[in-house]
Amino acid sequence: MSALTLIDYDAGNLASLEGALERLGFAYRRAASPDQAMDSGPIVLPGVGHFEAAQRSLRERGWWSELPGLVAGGRPLLGICLGLQLLAEGSEEAPGVPGLGLIPGLVRRLGPGVKVPNMGWCQVRPGASHPALPDAEGAWLYFVHSYALEPSAETLYLADHGRPFAAVEARGKVMGFQPHPEKSGPNGLRLLRSALTWMGAASTAPEEPCQ
Amino acid sequence: MPAKRVIPCLDVKNGRVVKGIQFKQLRDLGHPVDLARRYDQEGADELVFLDIAASLENRGTREAWVRGVARELSIPFTVGGGVSSVDDARSLLRAGADKVAVNTAASLRPDLVCELADAFGSQCVVAAVDVKRDADLGWRVYLKGGTEPTERAAVDWLWELNDLGAGEILLTSMDRDGTGDGFDLPLLDLASELPIPLIASGGAGREVHFLEALQHGADAVLAATLFHEGILPIPRLKAYLAQNDLSIRI
Repeated sequence: MSALTLIDYDAGNLASLEGALERLGFAYRRAASPDQAMDSGPIVLPGVGHFEAAQRSLRERGWWSELPGLVAGGRPLLGICLGLQLLAEGSEEAPGVPGLGLIPGLVRRLGPGVKVPNMGWCQVRPGASHPALPDAEGAWLYFVHSYALEPSAETLYLADHGRPFAAVEARGKVMGFQPHPEKSGPNGLRLLRSALTWMGAASTAPEEPCQ
Repeated sequence: MPAKRVIPCLDVKNGRVVKGIQFKQLRDLGHPVDLARRYDQEGADELVFLDIAASLENRGTREAWVRGVARELSIPFTVGGGVSSVDDARSLLRAGADKVAVNTAASLRPDLVCELADAFGSQCVVAAVDVKRDADLGWRVYLKGGTEPTERAAVDWLWELNDLGAGEILLTSMDRDGTGDGFDLPLLDLASELPIPLIASGGAGREVHFLEALQHGADAVLAATLFHEGILPIPRLKAYLAQNDLSIRI
């Protein structure tokens, strides 16, 4: 069991995520560059903002070139919000800018016919089953995004905004959440706890820390 | 489609949540973190904090309570009041705010909205707009807490904000604010034509007013006194809205 590594690259709301990790009893540390992450625990890639700006920032800090190797070497990786989108192959937000390609598929703009950004609480529904994640049926989670990963047969949770999109997607120990679990009340904390525990992080808090 | 949101609005002065009658006789309601925790537990979908005494001197105080709120809260929150630069916004976002609200500064220098959207994404940028009915303009935009009229018609300014990259509009009817007579529904009809989410503010007095606002195109409803004073508990309001066939997170 190792501490979580929280990638600090100026594109995330780390304070809220850190608050959630503390309430859940997960030890973590911020890492500005990959040389600060040379152990075996899960890596969390948060993110808000623009796909290309985030990609550039990760590249400048050395993460972009290192992450595929770290994953290939067995490090679990959790992307949140834009962090999920960066795991995909690319995004309509930045045509021609590659994603990490750790999860197949493309990120596309939401709509037409709906308000964008999708801002607020959406109910998710189950897709493919996963050994560790809680039952998704009807759970409310908080989303703030204008783009979303196209769903696949392996999408774990789906949500809808004009059309269905991937709310939670995983390939092996690479997982991505489109919603903000740290902003999604007890459901979100449960989801975050389940995912990180499955990835090998150890929590020191009792099972229902928020109740 | 996301659920319709219920949002308590908290006025903060020097790090304390206050409640005043037309900005006079401010009453201390407690620390932002304590109220945030209470509303989180009551089922609020989001919170808005407006720093009504934002000044250079209290930036440090503000960052401290924003950080505290972010660590405690498991729902999103917006902070506004005196945000006039990308650096102002960055300090709030780094402290843990999910969105920043801009008002006067954006009106004086519209490019600010654009700069914020480029730096942090539209989803972080809430444009707060205060308006009053007007014989010439339909609804006129006011600045500086509603004290200073502009030459802008609300409809023009709202669309301009959308084009500049605002991610959401927080629209307050000054005519209705504090009256309890209900939201300005024709105003909401006008604003709900925008392709970005709309938060309706000003005039809530009873449950049915929230229902009307949401039926007139608002994506979220905001109120202060009703919630702070416990006149209308959030669980009761949300149950009522859900019974009336709105999508509500219960």
